[in-house]
Amino acid sequence: MMPIDWEPIWLTLRLAGITTMLLLLIGVPLASWLALSRFRLKPVLEAIISLPLVLPPSVVGFYLLLAFSPTSDFGAWLLHHLNLQLVFSFEGLVVASLLYSLPFMVHPIQAGLENLPVSWREAAYTLGQSPGRTLWRVLLPNCKPAILTGIVLTFAHTIGEFGLVLMIGGNLPGQTRVASIAIYDEVELLHFQTAHTYAALLLVLSFAILLLVYFVNKRVTV
Amino acid sequence: MIEIDLTMPRLFTEGPGELTIRTSLESGSLTVLTGPSGAGKTTLLRLVAGLETPSSGRIVVDGHVWFDTQQRVDLPPQKRSIGYVFQDTALFPNMTVQEAIQFAAPKGDPAFVKELIDRTGLGTFMHQKPAQLSGGQRQRVALARALVRRPQVLLLDEPFAALDTQASESLRQVLSALHQVWQATTLLVSHHAQDAQIMANRVIRIVQGKVQLDERAMDKAVSAQVMEPILHIAYHEEHQQWIIQTVTTQLQSTNPAWGQQRVGDLILVRTAN
Repeated sequence: MMPIDWEPIWLTLRLAGITTMLLLLIGVPLASWLALSRFRLKPVLEAIISLPLVLPPSVVGFYLLLAFSPTSDFGAWLLHHLNLQLVFSFEGLVVASLLYSLPFMVHPIQAGLENLPVSWREAAYTLGQSPGRTLWRVLLPNCKPAILTGIVLTFAHTIGEFGLVLMIGGNLPGQTRVASIAIYDEVELLHFQTAHTYAALLLVLSFAILLLVYFVNKRVTV
Repeated sequence: MIEIDLTMPRLFTEGPGELTIRTSLESGSLTVLTGPSGAGKTTLLRLVAGLETPSSGRIVVDGHVWFDTQQRVDLPPQKRSIGYVFQDTALFPNMTVQEAIQFAAPKGDPAFVKELIDRTGLGTFMHQKPAQLSGGQRQRVALARALVRRPQVLLLDEPFAALDTQASESLRQVLSALHQVWQATTLLVSHHAQDAQIMANRVIRIVQGKVQLDERAMDKAVSAQVMEPILHIAYHEEHQQWIIQTVTTQLQSTNPAWGQQRVGDLILVRTAN
C-alpha cells in the first residue's frame, strides 16, 4: 500500500480554519448590520452576498481567475503594491473561499438576529445602552446557536469546495492541492486506495464536526 | 412637569386616522392610560420613550426638550431619562436577575441597587435567569431594571396583563410603594379598573388616538369614596386573600394588614362611577 500524503488533509483543514475565522470576523458585523439597519439598498447587498449560493462554483472561480490574474488591472495592482499573487496560491484560495462561503456565515446569523424580539433591543436602548453594546451584550449572546450554525456551515462548506479551488488554485502540492482535489487526482491516476483513504477521512471528519455541533447546539438551546 | 403635544398618522382598528395627544403631567404623578385595544396607548408610551417618532409636536420634561419638530430636537431613547417596562417584560434570557440589573445600573450606586432589590423582593432570585422565574417575578425584575437608572419618567405597558390576580396584586403593591418613595412621573397602561381607582392620581382614557376622558382621581375620590361598615371578613386559604364584605361591595386583598379589621369597623369603599 502507498504511504498516505497528509499534506492535502492538513491544507484543507488550514484553509477551512482560516476561512471560518476570518468570515466570523467579517460575517458577524455584516450580518448584524443587515439584520438591524433599514438601509434602502440593503436588498442589493443581500443579493450580492447570496450569489455564490446559486452560481456554479466554476462561474465564481472563472471571474475570480480573471480578476486575480496578473494580466488584469486588479491582479497587477495586487502584485505590484501588495506583492500578492492570488492565482494558484494558498492566499488566493483563502480570498476565494471568503467570497464563496460568505452567505453560509452571514445568513444564519442574520436570521438569528432578525428572529429575536425587537423589544430586547428597544429595552436595552431605554436602559441607556448604545447599539454596539446592545449587540455585544444582548443580541449576539442570545443567538449563539445561529452563530454556531454559521461557523459549522462555513467550515464544512470550505472543506467541500472543489470547482472553485480547481479554477483558481489548480493542483499545486502543499499550496492548493486540498483533499477534494487530491481525491479527484488520485482517481484520475487510478489510485483508488489512496482516494478511498482521503474520502473516508473527509467523511469521518465532516460527520464528527456535525455531530459535535448538534450536541453543543442542543446544550446551548436547552 | 411633562408637556406632551404629539401628532402622528396611525392605523386604528377602525381604519386610518391620526393620533393627537395634548396633555401635561405633573411631576411625580401616576397617570393610568385606559382605552380599547389599538387606541394608541402603547404608541403614546413609545413616542415618549423615543422608540417611535411622531410627525410633529413636542415633549418637554421638566424644562428639558426631548422632542420638538420646530427646534429639530429628537433625543434618542438612550438620552431620555426613562424607565420602560414592556408588556412582554423584554428580559434578556442570557442574564440573571443580578446581571440584568447591573447591566442597566449606572456605575457607583451600589446602595441604591441593593435598596431597589430589597424593595422589589428580588433578593432570593438574584442568580436565576428569566426562564426560571414566574410571570410576576419577571415583571418585578423588569420594574427594578427600569428604575435602577432613577428615571424621571416611568412608562409601564400593561404590566399586569399576563398575571393572575394574586401576582398582579403583589406587583401593584410593589409599584405603589416604589412610586411613593421615588416619585418618578409614571404613565401606566392598564385595563384593570382597580389601578385607576387605587393607585392613580389621574386617569386618561384614549379612544382612536384622542383623549376622550381626563379625570383627576382626587375629584373622583371626593364624589365616589364612601365609608361603610364591614359586615363579614374571611381569609381565603387557596388564594391567600382577605375578603371583606360590606353592604354594597366585596373587597379582596393579600395585604396582611386587613387581618386587623373587625366586623363593624368602617372601611373605605371605592366605587367606580
